[in-house]
Amino acid sequence: MPATFLHRFVLSIGFLSLFHSAYSAAQHRSYLRLNELDFTHLPLDIIIQALISLFVIMYGVMNVAGDFKEIKASAELENKSWETFRNIPSFYTFSHRGKFLAFPHQTGNKKHN
Amino acid sequence: MSSKNKNGNSDVVAYSEMAIRNNLSVVEYCRTSMAALSGCTAGVLGLTGLYGAAFYIFAVTSLWLMILCKAGLSSWKNFFISRKSLLTNGFFGQLFTYILCWTFIYGMVHVY
Repeated sequence: MPATFLHRFVLSIGFLSLFHSAYSAAQHRSYLRLNELDFTHLPLDIIIQALISLFVIMYGVMNVAGDFKEIKASAELENKSWETFRNIPSFYTFSHRGKFLAFPHQTGNKKHN
Repeated sequence: MSSKNKNGNSDVVAYSEMAIRNNLSVVEYCRTSMAALSGCTAGVLGLTGLYGAAFYIFAVTSLWLMILCKAGLSSWKNFFISRKSLLTNGFFGQLFTYILCWTFIYGMVHVY
């Protein structure tokens, strides 16, 4: 399936969420600095938000990047019939004897009568 | 590439070069984005030292699993020749992208 609007939407939501968690982390650091506390680890909700938004972005990127194709050389040819390959438009001929055979009353009659 | 079937005859499979190239470029795109984005996430989380390296390995492995899920857990052979090279290709090349984003975002979020 090609990239749809939904996947691009998911991708932008993920980017916004990651940016939001980065902003929250920066605010947490400034809060610690103002209260003169030591940094041990981030609050759990920021960690979870960052990880989830990473996976959401990756899902979006994988769908936007494109589809895989079958690597077997015969994969594309399996659904096609022999007539499809024999069909070469450059070699079409329209002025041939079939014109006289199909409509003898229009063209053939004049000559032969 | 040839594989032996039960009778011992080698069974030659022809691969389409265009399709292989297309698949690898899609995977490369995903891998580069994954390196940059997981670097950003590691910077946001404030990982330092070996925790960051462990997070990179976690990110690469989870991207590998996601690609396999996208290709289909049983039908990945239709799209890729080797599953292992899908995991290890460009591992150290992308590591530098990861470290770049990691240090940059770490500086932006936690230092300044």
